[in-house]
Amino acid sequence: MPILQALENLHPALWRAHQVARPSEAVLPSGHADLDAQLPGGGWPARVLTELLLPHAGVGELRLLAPALAALQRRQRAVMWFDPPAAPCAWALGALGLDARQFVVVRSRGGARGRARERLPAVDVLWALEQALKSGHLGAALAWLPARLPADALRRLQLAAQAHDGPVFLLRDAQERTRPSAAPLRLLLASAGPDRLRVTLLKRRGPPLAQPLTLALAPVLSAPALARAQSARGPAAAVPRVGVPV
Amino acid sequence: MLWLALHLPLLSLEAFCATLPAQAQPVAVALIHQHRIAAVNAAAAACGVRPGMKRATALALVADLRLADTDTARDAAALQAVAHTALAFTPAVTLHDAQTVLLEVQASLRLFGGLVALRQRLAAALAPLGHRVQMAAAPTASGAALLARWHPADRGDLVLGAHARQLSALEPLLDAAPVWLLGPGREHWEALQGMGLHTLADLRALPRAGLARRFGAGLLDELDRARGRQADPRRWLEWPATFDSRLELFARAETSEQVLAGASVLLARLVAWARARQARVGSFTLRMGHERQCQAQVPATELHVELAEPALDAAHLQLLLRERLGRCQLAAPTLELQLRCRHLVVGAAPNGELFPTRASEAVGLVRLLERLRARLGDEQVQRLEPVADHRPERASRSVPVQGTAQGTVPARPGAALAAVSAAASAPVAPALPHHRPAWLLPEPLPLAERGALPLLEGRPLQLVSGPERIEAGWWDGVPAVRDYFIAQAEDGSLVWLYRSRLPAAVDDAGWFLQGRFG
Repeated sequence: MPILQALENLHPALWRAHQVARPSEAVLPSGHADLDAQLPGGGWPARVLTELLLPHAGVGELRLLAPALAALQRRQRAVMWFDPPAAPCAWALGALGLDARQFVVVRSRGGARGRARERLPAVDVLWALEQALKSGHLGAALAWLPARLPADALRRLQLAAQAHDGPVFLLRDAQERTRPSAAPLRLLLASAGPDRLRVTLLKRRGPPLAQPLTLALAPVLSAPALARAQSARGPAAAVPRVGVPV
Repeated sequence: MLWLALHLPLLSLEAFCATLPAQAQPVAVALIHQHRIAAVNAAAAACGVRPGMKRATALALVADLRLADTDTARDAAALQAVAHTALAFTPAVTLHDAQTVLLEVQASLRLFGGLVALRQRLAAALAPLGHRVQMAAAPTASGAALLARWHPADRGDLVLGAHARQLSALEPLLDAAPVWLLGPGREHWEALQGMGLHTLADLRALPRAGLARRFGAGLLDELDRARGRQADPRRWLEWPATFDSRLELFARAETSEQVLAGASVLLARLVAWARARQARVGSFTLRMGHERQCQAQVPATELHVELAEPALDAAHLQLLLRERLGRCQLAAPTLELQLRCRHLVVGAAPNGELFPTRASEAVGLVRLLERLRARLGDEQVQRLEPVADHRPERASRSVPVQGTAQGTVPARPGAALAAVSAAASAPVAPALPHHRPAWLLPEPLPLAERGALPLLEGRPLQLVSGPERIEAGWWDGVPAVRDYFIAQAEDGSLVWLYRSRLPAAVDDAGWFLQGRFG
């Protein structure tokens, strides 16, 4: 037994199957205590990819990431967004404690490239993301990657991320959950009701977590509206109410 | 006075080779002047081609010899780059002849830490231009030029040594120099050699009056000037206020890599020019002259590269140019390149950092953004700007990342992100509660309707909050009078939708999805 204990101390990359890994790099606390408890090191890992799989944009992913990004902005680190699915609303981000003026939004060039573009839908965003990660000057990167990616693209990004001192969030479609991925941390996000987010840890450096976590997000709804929404999610939710609540 | 002479024995050959496309193996190159070979490179010399041969003889020896006429304008442009490089070390620079640049460096010795250090830095600064340089130092201008032209292998280093400081040490060195140094272009040149005069000492031993009568006073004057017996006034070179350099390519450049290879020569000259003023390049323009296609003149392509942060790093400039070239489509093969620069930023360069700091990170970030903009275009790299407007589609505006597009150059390093850091110090007050969605659709999405309730992807939406009336825009012609609701989708996620209060057209009636709460 002492030998086994010594084994974990040999190298920070070693951990035993029933333990959660202890990354040697500093992690970035996610701001959600329940989630931090389950993440290796207690936060979003730096220098590796973190994959967030979501059924569609707008399940609360920004509210999940907002505390960590706000912490980075307070430290004057730059955050880049690559190919966001819609226009981010500056006022909404401000309400989340983020300063939208500090974000740099990089979009890939649309159309005009014909067949080559269809074959390689993400060549721009992959190139830009790789350059940004390799430069090592970013605080965090958020990238919305398309569904069809060449198999080696994620491995390339994973290698590039080693030069990047901060988390890299890849936001991808939930259908990708069955595909293998080079990212050491994969989370499946789904809405669990108004202002609630269900997080399933698909992959982490540690034992699998059977139960999904349910996180409370920064509230959008007022208390009466929340009660109304929750009552509607009961068995009667399937019956549409006629009329408009005023 | 301490003069440093830079002699470029292979200048015209090297200036021509810069216009050749990059080759894996060396090719035989020779220059022709008045139907005779004037200069050959090592590969051609190895095949037996010698200067003075006829063109046909040379072609008989090497079938694939690259032949070109000598071009004084091309040589002058290359020599000017060398002179600009020298201007970074002393303001006293002058051109001696078509292959020699003279620098007076006495006043610069202290700044650069002595002659040894100065020579090292000068050699390093000249290296990117790719010329073979013979250097010599002497107390007289003509003496230095003579020694640099001579540059005998057995004499060792002609920059260091007693002759650089003392005329008495220079004289024996000059006496041993061969007579041909005085220049093959001189009148009576053959007669000098025919008289058995081999070294300058032989010339000096002759009676002056007879020598002057036989060969003219100019020869004596030159000897006297080299030995410091006669004044030798020079006119200093003036630094041109704008940079404009042309390069005619030997072969048609069809790919951007070939264009880039030619442009790198011009970029090295540009950096030498800017360094002479201790300034950094703010923007530059590359003009590509194209081959005629189908008897029609193809208009020249101009690429304008703006730098967010003025730089003096040829590798970085080349990187930006490569991205810009990769983006543009060339109409026809390129024959001629022209690089222009009018925009210099004078001032001390930002300090380098030994360890990564916040400042060095900001500079690195600016360079990264510059690369992204060069490749993807200014429209693709943006940041958000909140606008005080209640209409959600107008409440945010995307602006290009930084301000050089307006022609203003940040005065201090890292100022390109000034807006960013200024914003950091004054965070946006969370004036609005969380009832604005983080994602706004580019266009409001019309929703189907069933029983006065909106449907999203065939599923009914549950209105949970609202209405919130937004009535704005009557002053700018795009009025919006809408009732906004927060609704819950089937899976529990929240969306933001509206209904026009007074629909002006049929298209405006009904429910619209405006955003999602991310």
